Amino acid sequence: MIHAENVSVLVDRKRLLDGVDAEIRPGRVTALIGPNGAGKSTLISLLSGERRPDGGRVTLDGRPMASWPALALARRRAVLLQSAALDFAFTVEEVVELGRLPFAGTTRQIDDERAIAAACRLAGVDGFRARAYQTLSGGEKQRVQFARALAQLWQHGEAEGAARYLLLDEPTSALDLRHQRIVLDAARRLAGKGVGILAALHDLNLAAACADDVIMLRDGCVVAAGPVAEMMTGTLLGRCFDTPIEILTRADGMPAILA
Amino acid sequence: MDQSRMTDIAESASRPSRALKRPAILGGLALLLALAALLSLATGAMPLAVGDVLRALFGLEVDAQSAAVITMIRLPRMLLAIIVGAALAGAGAALQGLFRNPLADPSLIGVSSGAALGAVTVIVLGGAVVAILPFAASPLLLPFAAFLGGLGATFVMQRLAQSGGQAATATLLLAGIAINAMAGAATGVLVYVSNDTQLRDFTFWSMGSLAAGGWPGFTIAALPIAAALAAIVVSARALDAMLLGEREALHLGVPVQRLKNVVMVASALAVGSAVAVSGIIGFVGIVVPHLVRMIAGPDHRIVLPGSILAGAALLLVADMVARVVVAPAELPIGLVTSALGSPFFLWLLVRRRRFG
Amino acid sequence: MTRIKRVMTMGGMQGIAILSSLALAHADTPQRVVSVGGSTTEIVAALGAGTLLVGVDTTSLYPASVTELPNIGYVRQLSAEGLLSLRPDIVLAGSEAGPATALAQARAAGIEIVTMSEGYTPEAVARHIETVGRVLGRKAEAADLLDAFKVDFATVEADLARVTTKPRVLFILQTGRGASLVSGTDTAAHAMIELAGGVNAVTEYTGYKPFSPEAAALAAPDVILMTDQTVDTLGGKDSVLSEATFAATPAGRDGRLVTMDALYLTGFGPRLAHAAHDLAVKLHPAHEFAPLPERAWTKAE
Repeated sequence: MIHAENVSVLVDRKRLLDGVDAEIRPGRVTALIGPNGAGKSTLISLLSGERRPDGGRVTLDGRPMASWPALALARRRAVLLQSAALDFAFTVEEVVELGRLPFAGTTRQIDDERAIAAACRLAGVDGFRARAYQTLSGGEKQRVQFARALAQLWQHGEAEGAARYLLLDEPTSALDLRHQRIVLDAARRLAGKGVGILAALHDLNLAAACADDVIMLRDGCVVAAGPVAEMMTGTLLGRCFDTPIEILTRADGMPAILA
Repeated sequence: MDQSRMTDIAESASRPSRALKRPAILGGLALLLALAALLSLATGAMPLAVGDVLRALFGLEVDAQSAAVITMIRLPRMLLAIIVGAALAGAGAALQGLFRNPLADPSLIGVSSGAALGAVTVIVLGGAVVAILPFAASPLLLPFAAFLGGLGATFVMQRLAQSGGQAATATLLLAGIAINAMAGAATGVLVYVSNDTQLRDFTFWSMGSLAAGGWPGFTIAALPIAAALAAIVVSARALDAMLLGEREALHLGVPVQRLKNVVMVASALAVGSAVAVSGIIGFVGIVVPHLVRMIAGPDHRIVLPGSILAGAALLLVADMVARVVVAPAELPIGLVTSALGSPFFLWLLVRRRRFG
Repeated sequence: MTRIKRVMTMGGMQGIAILSSLALAHADTPQRVVSVGGSTTEIVAALGAGTLLVGVDTTSLYPASVTELPNIGYVRQLSAEGLLSLRPDIVLAGSEAGPATALAQARAAGIEIVTMSEGYTPEAVARHIETVGRVLGRKAEAADLLDAFKVDFATVEADLARVTTKPRVLFILQTGRGASLVSGTDTAAHAMIELAGGVNAVTEYTGYKPFSPEAAALAAPDVILMTDQTVDTLGGKDSVLSEATFAATPAGRDGRLVTMDALYLTGFGPRLAHAAHDLAVKLHPAHEFAPLPERAWTKAE
């Protein structure tokens, strides 16, 4: 489990996060929601081990993040950031292959080919593996980066060893409806294999549809956190986003959230 | 499920072609380098038979003067061209990866201007130093000072860039500009107090030449350049990850801060040593990696060794041009590389603007 | 291939020639000479050994015939193999010749290199002439040259002894676009001004330094001295004198701009006495100077 306890982040005397608790649990999809500037990306940078908190602590399997070597961490969790500019003419396949970097020189290197193929298929980039990354559309690029993160976490056969984690910062921001579905389905399938997933999402309906748990952030504080069914209420969402929100119930019983 | 397994196999079958590309390209470049090296030994103001060149190389009997020309002049010069070309192109390729900018150049991080400051110090104040130190009259004084200047610039730059904890890439570039300005100002002061001869000496030094190095030059530069290039080549995959972005590289397990330090210091060592023994030779560090990327793609496992081989070959050819066109005089090799390199660089800029 | 063979045969023939009894008298005198440095080349030619020259550097411009010879480049940027390719028996290297590595490489390949010591005095020029004469086995010719050199110099000195006022002279190496490069002490130009009975208007520093119009006014030169080459690039005497830099000086007011050929003025070679004479005539227009006899080495070719 990746666990943030009472973490705070201060930048230029401004509190980006203030006493936040958050967990990513193996096998579960956690949606991180909240308005712009709530601190979602900052929380992801703490949970991924990229940044150290100014207060509180972040642990993986009970061990402080800071004590994990970068490489050991990279074999346990993958991160998809919001934008990746690439000024060099890599092919799609070469970008995805970089996801296997943490396993270079290990016995798991033999899985590289299968991992790349599986990741490309899952992310729906199979059709253009040989194309130059620079020539892709924004949405295609995002899916390629997603495939790279998948390749990093891919394991052959049944899941074994320590749990793995996938942190996604707005993974669907550039995607059309069909590809939003493909990406989140892939995330769900990974969760089914025991991977712990945290996704910062803008689309509340998407969050409601794919998440097990929800963390609601506002102004650097947690408004509420818990199972998705309990979180998706007009009152809580309204408080989080500071705007009236109405929840309808669809024919299949799923909530439909309207602002 | 079965179908996906099938696609797996089909795709793995298509991949070896890419894996085979690497040895093919590197082998081709190595062949090119060997050819250029041989040609370089056989070319020069003295008309020597190829047979004599080969005989001298294998220690067989040739007349004393031919032997001297080959072993004292051409051989060290050929080796010097190889290590200097390899150092400039290898460091250029590595820095472009580190800064994630295909137009980055070793001169950006202030190494060249630091080395120039060291050189001009010896040229202008050398006489005074020679009076104090008996060994200072040695021809190694200038390269040594240039090397110290390059290393000093790198050190100052590291301090400047890391004053805020971690060195952001943008800060590194700005620090490089500051170092260039500082070294340029100090160089300007020394140029101001220099006499006509010293000024001309410095002018020629800054146009580059492989003539003055000889065996001593090769001997002092070979080891640091080899060590630096080795450190650069083993960083290939980490640099590939850096191309995705610093944070992405970090999440892929690359120790980003250490990588920056290693690549910066190794590049400074390589370029500083090269500049120390050859003066300033422009555009090799930017043109060669570009050519290699155009042929082989951006994978550093090809780009780094490929640039090292191609840089060595290119400098051998440029030096042949420098030695032959106005024989028995010589052109400064920096003029040759700039004359070839600057139009190419402009073409690159235009092309990049057109195709994004 | 044929070229290589030919060159090697020639080398062989030369070896035989040196061993042959006919050539014994000249066994020690070099037959193929490379001269590095304008004044050294001039001395070689003045000693009647110009035909032995097989190569010169870019500063060797006089006599004009030497510019037809293979050129080994700038005096500080010599190429070892370039030197070797001329197959010289000896290289006469001015004190400026370099780089040291190239000279060392050429020496290691069996080329004899004799370094000349030079200086900005008639005595230094005399020593230079003696050295070249000794090395080339032309001691008699060197003695004749020195005798004439001394006679000519004595003539100039005798005339100058009668000169009472010494004009202040400002030597400008280069000008235009703002600051000018002006000679202080320790330069060939400074020495020439003194040899011609003038006073250098600038003695505050050594070498050449940029000079502002204000500093020029303060130096108050009576005469401005420049080389023909510099004046030509600036578009003639009139445009130089009209420049603001010199307008406020006595020289500028009186329009006294003296020009001479660069190598003649600052070369410090066998033509030194004649150069000093010519400059003295221009610096002291009110005085009569005895004309110097024309010498073989002062005749323009």
